[in-house]
This record gives sequence, structure tokens and C-alpha cells, in this order.
Amino acid sequence: MTDRFHIKLAGGNVAFDCASDDTLLRGGLRQGLGLAYECNVGACGSCKFDLVDGEVDDLFPAAPGLKPKERERGKRLACQCVPRSDCTIKIRSGEEYVSDHVPRKMQARLIAKRALTHDISEFSFATGEAAQFLPGQYALLRLEGIGQARAYSMSNLANADGTWQFIIRKVPAGIVSNALFDTLQVGSELELDGPYGIAYLRPQIPRPIVCIAGGSGLAPVLSIIRGTRDAGGLRGIPQLLYGGRGPGDIPDIAAMLSVSGVEAGIHPVVSMPELAPVAAWSGDVGFVHEFVPKKLGQPLTAYEYYLAGPPPMIEACVRMLVAEHNVPSTQIHFDRFF
Amino acid sequence: MVSVCKTDEVAPGTSLRVEIDGLPPLAVFNVDDEFFVIDDTCTHGDASLCDGEIEDGQVECPWHNARFCIKTGKALTFPAVVPQKTYVVRVLDGTVHIEKND
Repeated sequence: MTDRFHIKLAGGNVAFDCASDDTLLRGGLRQGLGLAYECNVGACGSCKFDLVDGEVDDLFPAAPGLKPKERERGKRLACQCVPRSDCTIKIRSGEEYVSDHVPRKMQARLIAKRALTHDISEFSFATGEAAQFLPGQYALLRLEGIGQARAYSMSNLANADGTWQFIIRKVPAGIVSNALFDTLQVGSELELDGPYGIAYLRPQIPRPIVCIAGGSGLAPVLSIIRGTRDAGGLRGIPQLLYGGRGPGDIPDIAAMLSVSGVEAGIHPVVSMPELAPVAAWSGDVGFVHEFVPKKLGQPLTAYEYYLAGPPPMIEACVRMLVAEHNVPSTQIHFDRFF
Repeated sequence: MVSVCKTDEVAPGTSLRVEIDGLPPLAVFNVDDEFFVIDDTCTHGDASLCDGEIEDGQVECPWHNARFCIKTGKALTFPAVVPQKTYVVRVLDGTVHIEKND
């Protein structure tokens, strides 16, 4: 039987209940509190907190999100600590961390698996209730027998059927991705905990949308582009720049979007055309961030950006947008996964 | 010149946040008894750099751990990519001043 503990936020009257098998971060988010976070897996450090009173267990003491000096000074990561008693914590919070849909743990059954490239597949899961999330959010998937959950972004839209769709790359030596590809059969179940994420589509913003993605970052930007269909056509069609190493790494994005009845300007870029297994690549060559200024018609400050992909890609894009083109950081959205 | 604070208000290795009419919030740093003044609000978000850790002439923003060079304001690590504004400092009679250019 799991105990529940009372967690108080220092310096005010706000408190929440947290199960002993749930991390402090997720316990707070489940009750609608805007506790600061980003990656949920101990890498980014956004959820660092001071334990003012009480006891916690740290599930990942070597988590890279905290420097040794910070640990020595008693800081911990809320996404990696579970309570052992009632606690008082000092942690950053903000309205931007409150989602329209509080995260919940659910059982999800694999209903379909479809290869998109040699190492990227689309996985569809069904839960027993309506799937509620914002375009661009992610969920934590935990397989039985595997300790750490992994964060994957949904590529579809919220729906009444309870379908959660993900685009996952099989990472060499990746414990969870290998299990998803090789072990999990259609009909098998896993635990799905979500939604999480602050890089969701802001439909009320009138600026035209540019999505920049690489690898399995395709998932959240597909969800965002699909989400624009119902948000009105005031902005013009969204633009998607997608980068991969070789031509074999580029899924047929146009086909996936046409099934959804959504239009987007699609600009694939490969950095290593010599990897082509089939006919020679006649498209753009280079890194995706280099093509952003070339593909967009207006000054870069006119757009709203959603980014998803390998950290070096995100960093190169943000540098180019902010430092070279003066795009305000508030117009650029991404979740940091390291 | 605008006077910002007294030198003895900022011990070596620490910082002080000062608000002055007509200027954004300022962060005064004492690095080995040399004084530097930069904008306190991080160029990346809204955090106060005075809440950040100071080490080896660098300050780390408490929100996303972006580091800046205290002396030049240069953004040293992601996610900061824009440098912090710096001010020319003059220390006279135990008071830290900055030159205010309009």
C-alpha cells in the first residue's frame, strides 16, 4: 500500500499530497501546481529544490541536472525525489508550468507499430479513457521491469478514443527504445504518465509558425502542425524544417500530414548525402538551422518557433535566431532533453 | 555618473542587486575587491543574477544554469546566447558609480 505525504511549499500556504511512489514534481503537477520543470528525467536542472524539512529518497543521485557543488549545498531535483515523510520544500514555480490537463498515470496497450525509416517507428497506444493533451506535449513511458521511464512526445492530437501516438527512434544501446522495438508486442501494456511539457502550441498567438526538428523530434512538431488545423487559417500554412544525417533518415512527412488533412511547407535537409542508400539526394544539404533564414520569406522576428530534436541542433537554432536575428526568446518554444 | 552603492555593501565574492530609477535592475559584483556592474535580469529569462552562484569571475543564472562572464557580460553557456549589458564602473570615496550614457 502506498502512503501519501503532505508536501508544503515554503513561504506560503500552498501544499499538496504526494504518494510515496511518486516524485515530488509530478505529485505537485498532478494537483495543478505550476512547479518549475522541463525534462522530467534529471537532466536539465529546472526542478531543483531545497529540502527545508522532512525526508526524501533520491532515485538518481548522479543525475546530471545538478552540479556536485549544488548537491553539496543540499539541492535536489524534484523530478527524482520521492517523499519518505511530510516535507517542506523551496522550489521555483510559475504559471507557464500549469498545463490545461494535469498529468495522470494510466495503463496503455500497444495497438500498432509502423516503421517510418530504418530506425524510426510510429507507436500507437490505447488507454481506457479519452486522451487529453496539448499539441507538443510529452508523456513518460515505463515498461515493466525497466527502472527509468523515458519521455516521448505525442505526434497525434487529443482524442476521445484514448489513442496516444509516438515517434520513437531505436537508439543504439538504448534500453527503453530497444525494448519498445524488439520486446513489446501488440497487445502488451505499459505505464503511460502524462501529459507533461511546456513547449505546447499556443494557438492564440497570431504569428505564422515555424517548426524545426530532427530525429524523433518530428513527433511534437507533427502534433503542433496538426493542431493548427483547428486553430484557424489566419497565419498562413506552418513551415517545417526537418534535418537528418542521410536521406534514409527522412520520413515521408508529406504523406503523414496529408492523412491528417493538414498542409505545411516541408523542407528536409540532410547533412551527409553520401549516406544515401537509394537514388542520390537532390535536396538541401547542410544543417537544418542554416536553412531557416533561406526558407522563410519574412524577417525571422515575424514567426513563432517550435523546436524539437538533438540538443546541438536546438542550441544552433536558438543561437542563430536570438543572437543573429534578434528573435525574442519568448517566441521560441522547446523542451530541453539532454 | 550615477552612484549605485557603497563598496562595503558588497563583500568579495558576493553580489548586490540595486534598483535605480530610469535603469533596469543592476547587479554589482565584487570580484577580489574589483567592482563590476551588469544588468541583473538574465538575457535568457527573468531570473535575477544576484540569486546565482559566483565562481571564478563567472555568475550562473539560477533558473537554467546559464553562465555569464562578470567582467564582460559575455554569455558563456547555453541557454544564454545574448550577453548581459555591462556598465563602466568608477569607484570613488568608497562608493561604486556607473557611467550612464543616454
